[in-house]
This record gives sequence, C-alpha cells and structure tokens, in this order.
Amino acid sequence: MTWRGALAVALVLAAFPVRGQEPSAAAADPRAIVGPPRGQPVSGAVLDARTEDVASLLRCPVCQGLSVADSPSTTALMMKAHVRDLLAAGYDQEQILAYFERSYGEFVRLKPPLRGVNWIVWLAPLAALLAGAALIAWALGARRRMPAAAPVERVSPDVPGPDTLPDDPKLAAYVKKARELAYGWPGGVRAQPDAS
Amino acid sequence: MNRKVLLAGLLLVVPLLGVLFANLGRNPHAVNSPLIGRPAPPFTLPPVGGGAPVSLASLRGRPVVVNFWATWCAPCAEEHPLLGAAANALGADVQFIGIVYEDEEVPVQAYLRGHGKAFPSLMDAGSKTAIAYGVFGVPETYFIDPDGNVAAKFVGPLDREALLANLRKAKAAVRTATGGTS
Repeated sequence: MTWRGALAVALVLAAFPVRGQEPSAAAADPRAIVGPPRGQPVSGAVLDARTEDVASLLRCPVCQGLSVADSPSTTALMMKAHVRDLLAAGYDQEQILAYFERSYGEFVRLKPPLRGVNWIVWLAPLAALLAGAALIAWALGARRRMPAAAPVERVSPDVPGPDTLPDDPKLAAYVKKARELAYGWPGGVRAQPDAS
Repeated sequence: MNRKVLLAGLLLVVPLLGVLFANLGRNPHAVNSPLIGRPAPPFTLPPVGGGAPVSLASLRGRPVVVNFWATWCAPCAEEHPLLGAAANALGADVQFIGIVYEDEEVPVQAYLRGHGKAFPSLMDAGSKTAIAYGVFGVPETYFIDPDGNVAAKFVGPLDREALLANLRKAKAAVRTATGGTS
C-alpha cells in the first residue's frame, strides 16, 4: 500500500469519530473557557503527532515530574485523550494549555509561560552567564596588568638592598661582617665594578 | 577586598533566605485550585447503576458538595461514612454528589450495596469531569455555593471539622448538631 493509500485509509477512519464528541454527558465545554477553536481540525498522523507535542507540554498531575506524553498512568492517558479530542475539534496548542491551566493551575504547564515572576526563570540563567563572562574578563584583565607593574613595585623602597646599611652603627657592623662571610666582600662592601 | 566579597555574598544569600522564610509556613503539597471563586465546571453524568443523568446546573440554588472517590482508594472509604451521615442529616439543604474517579461500575455498585448509598454517585467516563475540576487524586472534595461557584476544595479524607468549615464557606446553613462519626 502506498503512502497515498495509507492517507486515504487514515482519512476514512478519521471520518468516524472513535470517541464521540461528548455524547450526552456535556462536561465542561472548552468553548466556554477558551473560546471557539482558533486552529484547523487535524486528523490522522498529524493528529497523532500534535497530540504527542501538546501532551509533552502538560505535566501529569499524579506523577513526579513526568509529562502527560511520557506517563503511563490512567490520568495521563485520559488527559491525552482529551488533548486529542480538542485538537481534532480544531483548538490550537495555546488554547489547550489554557484549558488545562484553568483546572489545574499554572502547575500543569511544563514550560512556564513568559509572564510575571516567571521572567526570572527565563532571564536569571542569561544574567548569570553574562555576570560570569564579565567576572572572567575582569580577572583576565587584572592578571594581564599585573606582571608589568609587580617586579618594580616589589624591590623597593622599604626592602633593603645589598648596598644599604642599617642606621644603627652597631647593627651595621654586624651586617658588614655577615656580608664579608657570605659574599666574600672585603670589609663587607661590594667592590665597585665601574671604578677600574 | 574583604568588604567586597562580603557584600557579594550577602547579595546572593539574603534573597535566598528571604525566599526560605517567606515559604516556611507553606504546605508544599497544597496546590491552590484556580477554580476557587469561579463558576464550577458544569457536568451532566449518568448515575451508577443507571437512571436519568444528573446535571450540576439542575442543583443551582443550594450548596453542592462534589466528592471524587474510587473503591480502590482507602482514604475514600475512611471519609465515606461521614459524608453519608452528613448527607442524611442535612437533607435537602445541601446536595452531596459523588463522582467516581477511574473505577469500574461493577465494583462501585458492589461497594455501594455494602456501605450504603446516602447520596448519588455518578460515572465519569473518560475522566472528563475530573480533568475539568483539576483532580490530582482521590479523595478530593469541592464545595460549590448556591450560585454555582467553587467556594473551596479539600484534598484528602475529610473529618467532621473540615467538612463543617468548608460547608460554611459554601454558604451552607449548617447546624452544629450535624451528625458525624467523629
């Protein structure tokens, strides 16, 4: 059977409603909650695919962090069937999410909508990323500036060099003695290379 | 430098502590129903065992208690006698309605034969009504005021105090002599 044939069969099957559209039991009418359908009725393979798409955006209320599409629970299956009915009737994704939100609250949306305090959820990671980049840039800049300045600053002015002597004459004599022993300088004084 | 580190630390920690303290008294399991204060989702459902369908709209004018339950649910069995006693005691003042949640008609009929049937229970094929009410699990009880708005939702088995308090929210003229098991 070609895909054209399969499509024809799917269309014929879709013409017979598997689940009657609210037969006698008029449950909550979605029209009263989200208005008339805004999309086009879908059927066949498209309906299957769209059902999975929309169900994956709904939180299964009886599970722990599972979407309606992923959960095998009866509640999730019923919700999925409901999503399917709504799609078949031409309701679009946002209308269907709004329909379930009216019953279960925003909790039922796995993807929090961009409104109110939810902006934090979307913007905080971006802000943190930018702040991290700024911090790294600042740290790298600081490190690059450092080597040029550091050595000059280090050797002075309070660190005594090999030619300076303490003011105290008694201490100065000991320093000279130590330099004579350590460096072999006669009298503890460095020989002037430029003098000769 | 130390002052800067301290400031940055405080900037991070203080808001987190704020969120913590703001939510300390909150029950993490309580999900507030967005339906409270809004018109109760309408339903027209067949009673267990057959008969004319019951619609919520036909009950307008008095408080309605809608109790979602199932035979496989132990806490439901716990609260069932209280609901039955309250339904008998309040008579026509308050309408009690049971809606069967994810259960079959045969075990439900057997259960009602064994435990008594003080108020009608309705079958909810496809859980459409349960979904419209935002039922997370059973038992869940919705208190609808005489104007048809959801006044309160109670999750878990009701005790006498909770039942009376919620009935008052639904503007039921409750006498404290209401019969109860506890």
